[in-house]
Amino acid sequence: MASADGMKGRARAAGAGIGVMQVRIVLLVSLLAAWEIMARSGLLYRDVVPPLETIGWALVVLLSSQAFYWNLGVTIAEVLAALAIGGSVGFMTGVLLGGSRFFGRALEPYIYYLGPTPKIIFFPIMIMWFGVGPGSKIAMGAVSCFFPIALSAAASMRQIDTVLIRVGRSFRANGWQMAMKIYLPAMRPSVMNGIRLGLGIAIIGTLLAETKLSNRGIGYLIMQAYSIFDMPRMYALLITLFAFAIGANAIVGRFGGHTTGK
Amino acid sequence: MSQASGSGTPMSDRKHVLSADNVSKKFDTAEGPVVAVDNISFDVRPGEFLSVIGPSGCGKSTLFNIIGGLTPDHDGTVTVGNEVVRGPHPSIGMVFQEESTFPWRTVIDNVCFPLEIAHVPKAERLDKARHFINLVGLNGFENRHPSELSGGMRQRVAIARTLVSQPKILLMDEPFAALDEQTRLLLGDKVLQIQQELKQTTLLITHNITEAVQLSDRILVMTYRPGKLKRMVDIDLPRPRTSDVVSSPAFGAYVARIWGDLREEASRGMQDSERAR
Repeated sequence: MASADGMKGRARAAGAGIGVMQVRIVLLVSLLAAWEIMARSGLLYRDVVPPLETIGWALVVLLSSQAFYWNLGVTIAEVLAALAIGGSVGFMTGVLLGGSRFFGRALEPYIYYLGPTPKIIFFPIMIMWFGVGPGSKIAMGAVSCFFPIALSAAASMRQIDTVLIRVGRSFRANGWQMAMKIYLPAMRPSVMNGIRLGLGIAIIGTLLAETKLSNRGIGYLIMQAYSIFDMPRMYALLITLFAFAIGANAIVGRFGGHTTGK
Repeated sequence: MSQASGSGTPMSDRKHVLSADNVSKKFDTAEGPVVAVDNISFDVRPGEFLSVIGPSGCGKSTLFNIIGGLTPDHDGTVTVGNEVVRGPHPSIGMVFQEESTFPWRTVIDNVCFPLEIAHVPKAERLDKARHFINLVGLNGFENRHPSELSGGMRQRVAIARTLVSQPKILLMDEPFAALDEQTRLLLGDKVLQIQQELKQTTLLITHNITEAVQLSDRILVMTYRPGKLKRMVDIDLPRPRTSDVVSSPAFGAYVARIWGDLREEASRGMQDSERAR
């Protein structure tokens, strides 16, 4: 009975999946067609809206240059460092805020109010503290992703089903066992969601910083292409950036978030 | 605190495995202090099935938490063997009323949990877990997650998980409260069969009269607020028992008698909750 329902559900999901995919493809193709018509019509400057073919060639040139991969590597390393620093500090802060009602009430308003503030206003300070190089970019990314990760860790800490904690206590689990076998696995789905959110925001923070003031990274390449008005190259860079963001998200998605809940 | 002190005398030589002496618990609420459990004393004999029954709000669950060692701040003492319960005790295995399986663990990993906590080697862990999964009739579901099981099956996982730690006393708080009546009767059969097989001393907290009479050797009836001991009823129904016992005249007589005791308490409880509305 349950499995029959499951099969039906899956079949329905698969059917819906085809429909969703079709809508996506139609939208993408029509956007590309609109772009192409705009480019060919000459309504806008050709240089601002280059034909798809030109962008395609620029992408090929870009992907066959070594400098691109080196700069991509710099950006990826910056984002990962930002996520590692901001994420671990954010997680620990969240556990503290979620675990202690006192700290939560005392300190969480700061995080709520600072969270939506555009972190780019801290960039000048970061440059003074960490220099023009990757240091200030990592700091920007870390500050950005700290907030969503701290908030989601605090929320997941509060959402733990208390009966599971009582089960652990009734079997006389020690503090370490409680943390590793009950708290962490129970928090995992929503913390993974926070990390996925944090990753997106770390990418935004890092790249924004790169486009402001830097000497390497994808953001730097984009600004460089823009300053010499090489639009096809700039669009090609943006496409690689989309691909990078999508890929990063997919990797985090694989590591959890979809554990079988109740 | 260790099990060592309990190893001196064989279980059967002792008159009782668990005793509660003058156990009381008061809660401070917005409307003033409420006495949840008032001076309750009773013994649990080895191998017996004792049920504590009372209307909702009589402090049954408080008593459950006190005996399980999860409510340290109470008056009176609970002793297991010769040891006073001051926290979760290895001789007491708890089964909770709420959904308590770990959703991220498979059935077998759920059942292995207490053995992992006790650092039992993996091979032994799996052997024992399989044994108790068979005992509750869930063989074939070892690798499923709780979300793939029915509520009754999940509750059996929770029971197997507690039994695997081989407690001297199985302490259950309305484990079947969330299930429908038919499933409850069938699970009652399962519990009777398991108890028969393991000679498991069991203390069941419940508000269901049929369930209590179907399963128990003795039933402790509690009063509504403050929760006192109203009466101890011996259930002289033959063992081994099955849910068929429900249709016997003796069963009906016990149910009627316990309802006679409970009726007044339950109606006081109902009046209270209606007044609060």
